[in-house]
Amino acid sequence: MKEIMNLGLKLLLISLIAALSLGFVNAITEDKIAEQRALANERARKAVSPEADTFNEIDISKLNDDLVVEGFEAIQEDLVVGYVFKTIPKGYGGSLEVIVGIDKSGTISGVRIGSHTETPGLGAKATEESFYSQYENMSANQEIGVSKTQKSDTEIQAISGATITSEAVTKGVNSAIKAFEAYVQ
Amino acid sequence: MSNKIKIFTNGLYKENAIFYQLLGMCPTLAVTTSAINGLGMGLATTAVLVLSNVVIALLRNFIPNKIRIPSFIVVIATFVTIIGMVMEGFIPVLYANLGIFIPLIVVNCLILGRAESFAYNNGVFDSFLDGLGMGLGFAIALTILGSVREILGAGSIFGVSLFSANFQPVLMMILPPGAFLALGILMAINNKYKSSRV
Repeated sequence: MKEIMNLGLKLLLISLIAALSLGFVNAITEDKIAEQRALANERARKAVSPEADTFNEIDISKLNDDLVVEGFEAIQEDLVVGYVFKTIPKGYGGSLEVIVGIDKSGTISGVRIGSHTETPGLGAKATEESFYSQYENMSANQEIGVSKTQKSDTEIQAISGATITSEAVTKGVNSAIKAFEAYVQ
Repeated sequence: MSNKIKIFTNGLYKENAIFYQLLGMCPTLAVTTSAINGLGMGLATTAVLVLSNVVIALLRNFIPNKIRIPSFIVVIATFVTIIGMVMEGFIPVLYANLGIFIPLIVVNCLILGRAESFAYNNGVFDSFLDGLGMGLGFAIALTILGSVREILGAGSIFGVSLFSANFQPVLMMILPPGAFLALGILMAINNKYKSSRV
């Protein structure tokens, strides 16, 4: 009995010190981490909508689209110059974040992939410029398709060996296009 | 002094965590899809291993034998979480590259293995050296494994392309089966080399 008490107390003490130090570090880093995450999001928005200098979050609940999780007006000198939407389509290894910028005239100004769990060397190539830059300057008047052979005005070329990922990203972009239409009208 | 050097170099090659002890296989197989991933995982593991070895050596007279395993796990998990939080908050560039590896370190049996077999029975400085040697040996082995897989599977090393565009990479090498193949072949080569020296 005495031994069990001794063991329990020591384990309690170790866990207590661990918990206290975790709480202490968390208190120091919490704000910093939130700040860094906000900065990273801001950078992604800036990358897909280079003209804008500020972003104004908009209410996306009226869209009724589960894929669209965040929406922003891209603002340059008090004027809305475009929209940025964050979508989370399902890829090969789970959800991936697709951030899409569409300018006021209905042209895609940029696409970036945020956090994802696609296969390295295959689907993960979607984070490379050679893939996502394909969407730039495509028209948001119609849905974008995926071709296995070559890029055209309305289709992007899939990453070889990663058709599912390519289609997922395109699905995210198409959701953003629909969201864009809903806001412009 | 030569004894200290021996403790340090032990993990580098002679008792290398991957090629000799076969410890920490889950991260080894999972993250070595490229040389940079291997190096990143190796260095993050080294940092945690050194810290946990030192703390466990400090506490070795306080921790009763019967509850040593839960105590080690608490210490290791605490360090991993603290390193993750500090890195994300203060060194975001490093976190962007290493962040995904940090939570994986908790389940790395290399760290628990060294706590159990070395730090619990040895002094603080020796445990520090052991952690550093074992960690660097682990990092080197992961980098080699990652390089082999990246060269064959993607035709590049550390992200730099090695061949012309006509090169058709063996995609399988960067997929899970490639991890087993590359590790097996590297171990076979190493064993052959070792046996030829005796």
